[in-house]
Amino acid sequence: MAGLELLSDQGYRLDGRKATELRKVQARMGVFAQADGSAYLEQGNTKALAVVYGPHEMRGSRSRARHDRAVINCQYSMATFSTAERKRRPHGDRKSTEMSLHLKQTFEAAVMTQLYPRSQIDIYVKILQSDGGNYSVCVNAATLAVIDAGIPMRDYVCACTVGFVDETPLADLCYAEESGGVSSLALALLAPWRTDRSAADGRQAPSGPLRGSDRSCHDSL
Amino acid sequence: MSPMKLCVPGDKLCSVEDCIPGTGVYLRHGYIYSSLAGYVLKKNEGEELPVISVVRETEAQLLPDVGAIVTCKVTSINPRFAKVHILYVGSTPLKDRFRGTIRKEDVRATEKDKVETYKSFRPGDIVLAKVISLGDVQSNYLLTTAENELGVVVAHSESGAQMVPISWCEMQCPQTHVKEFRKVARVQPEYLQA
Repeated sequence: MAGLELLSDQGYRLDGRKATELRKVQARMGVFAQADGSAYLEQGNTKALAVVYGPHEMRGSRSRARHDRAVINCQYSMATFSTAERKRRPHGDRKSTEMSLHLKQTFEAAVMTQLYPRSQIDIYVKILQSDGGNYSVCVNAATLAVIDAGIPMRDYVCACTVGFVDETPLADLCYAEESGGVSSLALALLAPWRTDRSAADGRQAPSGPLRGSDRSCHDSL
Repeated sequence: MSPMKLCVPGDKLCSVEDCIPGTGVYLRHGYIYSSLAGYVLKKNEGEELPVISVVRETEAQLLPDVGAIVTCKVTSINPRFAKVHILYVGSTPLKDRFRGTIRKEDVRATEKDKVETYKSFRPGDIVLAKVISLGDVQSNYLLTTAENELGVVVAHSESGAQMVPISWCEMQCPQTHVKEFRKVARVQPEYLQA
């Protein structure tokens, strides 16, 4: 029953998009002068701000320093005003910690950390308005911020959330679709149209087109 | 020079047979890819192949590397070592200060055991040093001044005036004419600005 509302017979979604149409993307780099790199990205109504500091000397416990590469520190948080109801705990909750870890793994694969031994790169992402696809928008914003900081990367990381309704994949889900019981997959890839997918980070092992909806994984929101 | 081309990370620039990789690029499967967003620069260095590199308007953060000459400021001294803040790598200022250590035995090349750090450096001195190690878990960057061209370049006397070097181990205050001990650097003539 949910499928009927999310995808009409003519092939239009709740916000009037077609099934494979992405939301409007607007981005700006170099938003902050004091940070080494920063970027602001909007995908539809989801807005994210990413800030990068580094590479700089290891702060805090020096024992975490790697002798041959840089350590990447990520923090994901949502503004208290980003959701429909005021968010009680913007960071430190399980969801934010999990997202931070995913971001860290993604960027450790993409950034050429072996050029900066014994140093640290900090990536902070804040969601200013959440309307679905939080993780994807974060990854995209963080990529732009890392590029703005001049930190060498193998390639830029692109991410998108895809959902499955009635055997039809829907690209770039909004909040109403994500919470409408659609099985979804958030995928971050190193520019697959150019290189082989040497680093992929998804909730499921990705390869080529999506499998059937019985292999659903809920983007926990 | 041909007009500069823009590129983003991951752009395939050329094959490794056409160019030698420089800065801001990386090698993969026999091709040179860009790792920064900037302009592609091809320079003919006189060897057979041109060097290809990607440059940005703002220089990316540089890290002190082993063997690099750094300019640092002494923050504290100790009978065994002196702690410094590294300010410049070569002639590039660092945005963030890195911490370094000059051990007693690395202050000069001769008579290492007779060195007194109090007579070599004082807090606030600007020192030219060379990086000998990136350090391990416990320590910061390890630096050395055990060469003629390394050591104190700018120092202030106890009365506050900037001192003039008179030998490799002494500096004199121009106001009070008091001599103080420092491990002085013999700055090359081409680096002195008249």
